[in-house]
Amino acid sequence: MIRIQIDGQSIEAKEGATILSLADKLRIRIPTLCFHESLSPFGACRLCTVEVKRGKKWELTTSCNTEIASEMVIRTDSPEIRKSRKMAAGLLYLKYPGTKLIRDTAEKLGVKVTKSKENSRDCILCGMCVRTCQEVVEVNALRFEDRGPDHPGEPPRIGYIRESCICCGACAFVCPTGYIRMEPYGGDDRRVIWDRVFEMAVCRICGRRFAPLAQLEYLSRKADRPLAQFMTCISCREAETQSLMVDEKDWIAMHKHG
Amino acid sequence: MKKPHPIEKVNQPGTPVPASRMFPVFSTWDGKVIDHRANQGNPVKGSCPDKFKDMPFRGLMAWNGIVLREEDTDIPSLAYAYLREARKISCGECSVCMIGIDRVMEIFRGFMEGTGTRQDLNEILEIAHEVSVNGKCNFGRSAALVPVADAVKCFRGSFLALIRGERQLFNHGYESAVTAPCIEACPASLPITAYIEKIKNFQFRESLTLIRSKCILPGVIGRACTHPCEAACIRQRVDEAVAIRLLKRAVSDQDLKEGCTFLPTPEVNKKEKVCIIGAGPAGLAAAYHLRLMGYGVTMVDSFSVMGGMAAAGIPDYRLPKDILLHETGLIKRMGVEVLLNRRIEHLRWDDLKKKGFKALFLSVGAHRGADIGLAGENDVVEGFEQGIDFLRELPKWRSGIKPVHKIFILGGGNVAIDCARSCLRLGCKRVEILYRRSRAEMPALPEEIEGALKEGVKIRYLTAPLRVVCKWGRIEGLECIKMKLGTPDSSGRRKPIPIEGSNVILKADMVIAAVGQEIDTSFMTEKDRKLLSQGGKILVDPVSCRTNKEGVFAGGDCVTGPATLIEALDMGNRAARSIDAYLQGQDFRETWVFNGIDTAAQRGNYFFPESRLVKVPSLEGRDRLNDFAEVERGFSRAEAMEEARRCLRCYRLMVWEVDKSGQEMTQGRRK
Repeated sequence: MIRIQIDGQSIEAKEGATILSLADKLRIRIPTLCFHESLSPFGACRLCTVEVKRGKKWELTTSCNTEIASEMVIRTDSPEIRKSRKMAAGLLYLKYPGTKLIRDTAEKLGVKVTKSKENSRDCILCGMCVRTCQEVVEVNALRFEDRGPDHPGEPPRIGYIRESCICCGACAFVCPTGYIRMEPYGGDDRRVIWDRVFEMAVCRICGRRFAPLAQLEYLSRKADRPLAQFMTCISCREAETQSLMVDEKDWIAMHKHG
Repeated sequence: MKKPHPIEKVNQPGTPVPASRMFPVFSTWDGKVIDHRANQGNPVKGSCPDKFKDMPFRGLMAWNGIVLREEDTDIPSLAYAYLREARKISCGECSVCMIGIDRVMEIFRGFMEGTGTRQDLNEILEIAHEVSVNGKCNFGRSAALVPVADAVKCFRGSFLALIRGERQLFNHGYESAVTAPCIEACPASLPITAYIEKIKNFQFRESLTLIRSKCILPGVIGRACTHPCEAACIRQRVDEAVAIRLLKRAVSDQDLKEGCTFLPTPEVNKKEKVCIIGAGPAGLAAAYHLRLMGYGVTMVDSFSVMGGMAAAGIPDYRLPKDILLHETGLIKRMGVEVLLNRRIEHLRWDDLKKKGFKALFLSVGAHRGADIGLAGENDVVEGFEQGIDFLRELPKWRSGIKPVHKIFILGGGNVAIDCARSCLRLGCKRVEILYRRSRAEMPALPEEIEGALKEGVKIRYLTAPLRVVCKWGRIEGLECIKMKLGTPDSSGRRKPIPIEGSNVILKADMVIAAVGQEIDTSFMTEKDRKLLSQGGKILVDPVSCRTNKEGVFAGGDCVTGPATLIEALDMGNRAARSIDAYLQGQDFRETWVFNGIDTAAQRGNYFFPESRLVKVPSLEGRDRLNDFAEVERGFSRAEAMEEARRCLRCYRLMVWEVDKSGQEMTQGRRK
């Protein structure tokens, strides 16, 4: 445990925590766009800026990826912080004026926005989908592309590796603006995400289309079990296993005496 | 090209621009203003790098400020040119940098269309401030808009004229250059920031292609490089340097795991043939690039495997031989003719010419151990070895020669440490290094010294050997004398001075001398030796690698004296380009734009979140000494990506308006 000072109050905190997580515990509101508690901090949106005292000077830093250190003095609100957040939000708004999430965030941080009902669902490059795919799902089907000096002129974008994708939909789930969508394609038997169409597998008991085949194949590879074991939908699998299950009480009794 | 080319005349820098007037007329370098403009009474406050005096530009804008030679330089146009280049480097990862640059460019275009207002100038300054305090990477913070803000602050009049429509934005002819402190520190100027960016973005293949463009042995260099880049890493101002060497290794490891990619095959085949003597790093780099250009390449080496010092001088626990075999094999697969186990006794260039070779590249290395000159050394028959010979013959020692009890190693370089750690692995009980100076002066890599001490090597500092004690030709001991440190000598290190009467005799079963290597020039005829070499090294032009003989080039350790693998690779790369120019009858030019400019300097010292170096596990304890297994483990794919994220992206951008007199950038020699 180390002692730090945040917004004037001196508190004890666990080493290795980030300023943002600490502020969250203390119910201090810090705006974020690219932060997700299940993902590694990315520091892209620059909205979670706070100030840390170094010597006699206050210096701006992003709270999501700055870990607290012993005797650190932090403040989460000041004219500079507000100005900086407003500026970053303003620039985001300049680039994505049609996206509702950006418009709302910018408005909250004091940027003058024109009211509209439009939502153009732009990709704001928050990187949540890429991090989810790489860190949570671990299939690495998404990556950042066209960044740095090799791609003069090209706007950065999210690269999609078709052959790695298992159509799990985690990126669509986590996408804050709705840019990534997973939708049925044609009928019930196919589903589309990014630009690849996936076939849905048929449950071998009820015959319902229940999951993308690519996902089941991935699970079968990972678990090193034959694909046939995964070809049952959730409700059928429950019904199947329930008939085999021993009652919990019986199980305890069995072990006590025997 | 037929005319003779004395070394002094080749690659002379272009005529310097006359510094008739005050230079610079105006500068904001490092945030310190110098102002010699007419009607400006400001006192001179700062300075700017001397290098700029010789660069023929009218006005220059760089990450660290503006430098003007001509007072009438069109600043708004220069700023717009700078923004256009900065936009290319900005990665667009954070919300302020790229969008900020875009917005400022939009404002500039507004000026052109006549919709600009005074308010816009303030907005530029505000955006510049925001990007420099809140940008994610160091490019945004220290380069993206810094000089543009300078321009707006110091040349407000020009911008107001632009707003009023009294002037326009022009393209006056601009040139630009990009680098980073780590790239400048690397002898071979590897595109470090770019390949790290590729790792971060999960593009290992692309990263490998980038590395191979300058470094053809990524796995070898990723293990055995002295990594001067890491010493220059700006991240050290926050926490620890980025593990650049291990990242390079991770890329090559990943390539092996995924099924290796072959080297590209030449698109055309040219009829000219080039002979390369010595298949070390310099020779291999030259062979690769020449072959890629389509030349026929024949490589001759006296050793039984390719790799030169990487094969003979670096033991397996640091660099497993299969990595070297794999990477050199890839070069051979490109169609390079490799003749191994062939020692050249007498080299006659004329004979080679008759065989159809148009150029010769000498990269014979420095494989002969330097004479230490101990009294009684000549009487010893058994038990006295040269460090470099010992390392080369390690396989022989490993297969059955009885390990001796007590070994002394003389010298403090990497070869001495390699010998000591190898001796431990051979089963020697007591291994001690004798070094004339103290730990601080030791030229070996700190992590190597650390490793040796951890494994149980003892180091006796401030001790110099005087005489070998031997009996019937067998070594018995070593007479040594204690030293103290005096004043610094020509190498900058403190000179050791013997303390009278402190002689001791140490018992030893074997002594290995590793006090440096020299070039074995015995393959040259007496006449050639006089023409080509000086002071035991082959004499070349440092830029083009040409020797005094037409069509003969040289590079690597045989030119520089014992140096690092990466320096040899650089000379090989350069020699290949130079040989190509020679065979095509063109002039060879090479430009080092940033040479002489401190790329580590930047405005502001901002707060970056700390993130600790990703640690790689290494073999521990007894496992290490049982055999020659590789000690260090590399990064996994995920670890490499995590480590790559620590890179601060310290891109340094420089854009200058070319002098109208039409002169090109002058050519500078690298230190």
